[in-house]
Amino acid sequence: MINEESHGLGRGGMNCLQFENALSDYLEGSRTSEQQAHLSSCTVCSNLLADLNLISAEAFSLRELNEPNPKMWNTIEAQLRSEGLIREPSPLLSDFFRRWRTAWLVPVAAALLIAAGVKLYHPAKVGENQSVSKVSIPKISPAPTISAEDKDVLRTVASRPPAQAVAYRNDLDQANAFIRDAQDALRNDPNDIYSQQLLMNAYEQKQMLYRLAVDQGNDEQ
Amino acid sequence: MTDAKRPKGAKLSEPEAIEKAKQGDAEAFEFLYHLHKRRVYSLCLRMTGNTASAEDLTQEAFLQLFRKIATFRGESAFSTWLHRMAVNVVLMQLRKKNLPVVPIDETTEGEEEGTIRKELGAPDERLAGSIDRLQLQRAVDELPPGYRTIFVLHDVEGYEHNEIASMVGCSIGNSKSQLHKARIKLRDLLRVNRAEKAGKR
Repeated sequence: MINEESHGLGRGGMNCLQFENALSDYLEGSRTSEQQAHLSSCTVCSNLLADLNLISAEAFSLRELNEPNPKMWNTIEAQLRSEGLIREPSPLLSDFFRRWRTAWLVPVAAALLIAAGVKLYHPAKVGENQSVSKVSIPKISPAPTISAEDKDVLRTVASRPPAQAVAYRNDLDQANAFIRDAQDALRNDPNDIYSQQLLMNAYEQKQMLYRLAVDQGNDEQ
Repeated sequence: MTDAKRPKGAKLSEPEAIEKAKQGDAEAFEFLYHLHKRRVYSLCLRMTGNTASAEDLTQEAFLQLFRKIATFRGESAFSTWLHRMAVNVVLMQLRKKNLPVVPIDETTEGEEEGTIRKELGAPDERLAGSIDRLQLQRAVDELPPGYRTIFVLHDVEGYEHNEIASMVGCSIGNSKSQLHKARIKLRDLLRVNRAEKAGKR
């Protein structure tokens, strides 16, 4: 249905189609009084402008949204070594690997891995008033910023060179942030398959971080 | 050098790490990788919409960077240099796979008028005051490849139209026009998504 009156057609010397054709320039900062007049009288075009500004502003939040596979650095490092770009192991790094050999770290990391697995595959409880969902999702509960398991891992990686320990902490924080984001999304729409997948991915990411610590420890034994 | 470039508790600053990496220091390479990995990976993922490709391209971008790091003289910011390298790696890959870097004009004709027509039937429908970033990520992933490239380079990465035109090989006007169409398309996708969610409730 086209309602010329409510959409500003013919008002202010400019109609909606003319406004939209010039909207790209308007957003770039080239603005005319005709456009301003049309905007003040047309809800459709002012809504459109508000939405496009909102999309553009929110786009920045995607800039560092995703985390690569935690093992990617190992692949890059191996390639750099094979090309001779990494010339000699840092003494600090050797010290780190020597510390990692400590036998007790392995069972601790393995326990953490199991804990993460239980968390990942624990199905959602169906309450009396809840309808049964076709898709089983992890139980949604507000995740603490740093869990007891995380604290244990961070305590063990504290013996790494500071740059590595900080990087590990950042990775863990990001994985936890992803989990919280996905859980928030699922609270709004528990059946959203996309958010469920994001939550699974986030848990897998966290699991990989734990596994990475175990693998590195085993490699050096 | 700002504090932002020295992660809390880190021994190295970015310039120190660059100098050490030039000498082949493993810890410095790793520091630089961790400092920039999220931005580079997110860029690759947004532009390809594919996790496996994004991982390959991220790896390739960092390898190229580290192979050339000895030539970095600091005329531009290190991050600018790296991100430009990552963009080039992705664009080269898209071209190799014959995926459109710039939208094909024929496929976009008529869409501008369509936008207004859709608006006319629903004057009060607009996005709420904020957009969930996961919804936005999903909508960007659904954009046609050419639109996605321009949108990511401009609105996500912050490149100017003249830089985009030079990188992807199109005119400045074309870059502006495709960005506008990409935003319109995103708005449609977000509104459809919102309407679907409302319908489920």
